Amino acid sequence: MMERKVVDPEYMFKRAPREKKFLIGNEAVAEAVKRANVDIAIAYPITPQSEATHIVGDIYAEGYIKDYYRGEDEFNVMSAIAGARMGGARTFTATSGPGTLRAFEMFPLWAGARLPVVCAFMCRGVNSPLTIQPDNIEIGWLMDTGMLIFHAENPQEFFDMTLQAYIVAEQPDVHIPIGVCVDGFFVTHTREIVEVTPEDEMLPPYDPSTSPVPIMDMEVPPIRQMRDPFVMKSNYISYNTHASWQQEVRAAGERAKKHIARYVGKFIEVTNPDAEILLIASGTAAAQARVAMEQAREKGMDVGLAKIRVIRPFPEDEVRELAENPRIIIVPEHNIVGWLAREIKSRIDNSGKVRGHPRVFGGMTMPPEFIMEEIVNGRAR
Amino acid sequence: MAISSYRVIPGPESYLSPAAASMGVVLPEKGEALIEGKIVPEEEAIEKITEKLILAKNPFFFPGPLILWAWNEKAIAKAKAVKELAEAAGAKIIPMPDYRPKYPMINPEEEINPNHPNLTIWHNKIDTCVFVGVHCHYANLALKIIRGGTDCYTIALCGQAGHEDAMITLRDIHSEEVQKLTEVVKRAKGGTPQ
Amino acid sequence: MKKNIATISPGFEDIMPEEYQDLVNDGPYGRGLGIKNLGTFKELIEEHPLCAGCGLALAIRLTAASLPAPEDTIIVGTTGCNSILMPQLAIHNIHSLFGNQSSLAAGLKRALKLRYPDKNKDVVVMAGDGGIADIGLSPTLHTWLRRENLTTIMLDNESYSNTGGQESGMSCEGAVLNMAPTGKKFPKIPMPEIAKDSGCAYVATVSVANARRLGRMVKRAILVAREIGPTYLQIFVPCPTNYKFSTSETLKRAKEREKIMEYISSEAEKLIKEANI
Ligand SMILES: Cc1ncc(C[n+]2csc(CCOP(=O)(O)OP(=O)(O)O)c2C)c(N)n1
Ligand code: SF4
Ligand SMILES: [Mg+2]
Repeated sequence: MMERKVVDPEYMFKRAPREKKFLIGNEAVAEAVKRANVDIAIAYPITPQSEATHIVGDIYAEGYIKDYYRGEDEFNVMSAIAGARMGGARTFTATSGPGTLRAFEMFPLWAGARLPVVCAFMCRGVNSPLTIQPDNIEIGWLMDTGMLIFHAENPQEFFDMTLQAYIVAEQPDVHIPIGVCVDGFFVTHTREIVEVTPEDEMLPPYDPSTSPVPIMDMEVPPIRQMRDPFVMKSNYISYNTHASWQQEVRAAGERAKKHIARYVGKFIEVTNPDAEILLIASGTAAAQARVAMEQAREKGMDVGLAKIRVIRPFPEDEVRELAENPRIIIVPEHNIVGWLAREIKSRIDNSGKVRGHPRVFGGMTMPPEFIMEEIVNGRAR
Repeated sequence: MAISSYRVIPGPESYLSPAAASMGVVLPEKGEALIEGKIVPEEEAIEKITEKLILAKNPFFFPGPLILWAWNEKAIAKAKAVKELAEAAGAKIIPMPDYRPKYPMINPEEEINPNHPNLTIWHNKIDTCVFVGVHCHYANLALKIIRGGTDCYTIALCGQAGHEDAMITLRDIHSEEVQKLTEVVKRAKGGTPQ
Repeated sequence: MKKNIATISPGFEDIMPEEYQDLVNDGPYGRGLGIKNLGTFKELIEEHPLCAGCGLALAIRLTAASLPAPEDTIIVGTTGCNSILMPQLAIHNIHSLFGNQSSLAAGLKRALKLRYPDKNKDVVVMAGDGGIADIGLSPTLHTWLRRENLTTIMLDNESYSNTGGQESGMSCEGAVLNMAPTGKKFPKIPMPEIAKDSGCAYVATVSVANARRLGRMVKRAILVAREIGPTYLQIFVPCPTNYKFSTSETLKRAKEREKIMEYISSEAEKLIKEANI
């Protein structure tokens, strides 16, 4: 194990020298974990995530992580992650599709218990029929758990956002979980140039003393402290408390905005904002939309692209502003429900201009031509 | 981001008040503070706190577990400073030693904090209160509920990033800052014709 | 723990409510007390809303009074009658979800081992029979199989009490309960045997009517978990509300059906002898 030094997070994210490596997404996220000063990682196999947590296991074996094991199933892995976080440790875990669903009861608990968990979701389709292929329908379900959600487009963003997620999640005024999502296979198994920070530099450790709720170690007052206290008495104050508690979790998400702006950067990356037709997409759909946009512009069509990087907290103000100009908004997605289109429609005034197409799922790829079809149809309208 | 027009002012505001952060109120940066949802220089907030404490008919301090328990030197020092401040302001103290839900009953006319037995509002007779040493999550819940149901003026002296749900909040407040506030209050009191 | 997290900051002694002053002046932290001292110190439990005559409430009280190191114990509960009492306990405790108490406790214990390598932090799972033997059976077994340093205490009232008295895996064969309208069709799950076969170094059963023995078993179970590996204690805690008997009969019923059993691995035997408990 090499000697390493703690560095300032902003330096690491913005100014540290970068080395080019040729990595798949699963390797990129493991490189991030190596630099994240993680105390405990817990793993459970599922494609396409497994490889990432294999490598995290190797990093543990080399001594860069203090504890690591394979849990019994995703629900119990996410539970153990909660326990470790309540005990003041920094954690890492990852899962995919069916694993996400198996664990689901834990995500609102992470948020409600104010646990700054960072979890990678390498999205894949869910049963039935059985599939292991890319499909990000699970993000649509995660969106309402109280967790924050980043959607990385490629291995580079997966590396950067994973590191950044720790620093945002652990802010005392935020202190809620962040899911760093990527589209399975398209990102996890695609090899690209990734610029990584120096191997001997790591994030500062988590500081449990700044937690907005007491750490459960019998070292901080108050001694009489239940995480979470039962507020299920049948009276107005109990109900009001529960309601306020939920509001406070959402408020923490709002507070994250300024930290995201500082550490993660733009919520939305926009090319040609004044175009007649605006593509709005996240994850690998944004990559495909970019190709389609370029092809369309070569043909003289007025097309722009807004890539949304942060799904929660949703950049509502920016999206409302972006939605004013274009005549048509096209939202290509890698899932059947169209959670991004739904989200955009619910936030803007003129939702009639939003076309929730094209959508592919079940492992299908998104050829730029498929998006182009939509652009051409849109122009004809 | 759109500038929020939402004001964090005494209630009773609503059957269920929103969290101020969700209404666009943003926490202050270092050296700043919030007055009723607006970012101001810290000094301005200190003045306003002083004014509120002096004019209050029935001010109360609600110190929380982070200072009531002598778990480190900082806590002890801050507790001492808070007690002096409360005395200087002529305020009474109701301690919040922990976050225990109260059994068997809560009388919402008298008590308001869900997870604590001792946060009393006494039929709204407390007109100004100061939160200090309460874990941020719990402070936010209580501050919001107070705004929803009472006309109490809430002040938070936060050791971390501050509280949008209080009417005035300072941030990064430790014993020295509390002592400074005490000096200001004492001076102001001395200057007020009795 | 830092001793002074139970010390009141100077100047606030008189302002603190009486029950907290008592806890500070007369509480059990760091004093090595036990059942035999009951009545001579301020207990960890405040007034709570469980039913009159509740066996489970008494078992929690006795367990709390028997913790070898209450000042360094964290309890992980689960949904059920226990979770309504737990916020009244003057120890850090966690309500997890229904059934994930053991896996959560494993994560917690590992975190505390990392953060406090030179201290004993006892993590104790205390949960209902439904929580441990039915919905949480998998993590219960897996923490044992992985040899996690946890104590698991089952508060066995032979039903899902909190939800109105449904059959659980720990109900007796033939018992007529909600969701078993014609009587339970299979015997009580043999948790003690399973615990033994799954790697617990100490396994014991007792009833709430046997306070002294219960206290000793709690101490043994926690000490062995601290030093050796997983331990399991099953306490029979009759529930007057759902089994519909008079609240004055709880202890009598507990006594009648009490099964006392103690399995101690040879390694644990040595430890218990040395510690003289
Ligand atoms: C996932 C989930 N399923 C079901 C429940 C409903 N539930 C809450 S408590 C409880 C019964 C608990 O029984 P047991 O563990 O034996 O504890 P007891 O109340 O008997 O002490 C049930 C079924 C729940 N809260 N969560
Ligand atoms: S229902 Fe039974 S176990 Fe639950 S509190 Fe009442 S008596 Fe105790
Ligand atoms: Mg039961």
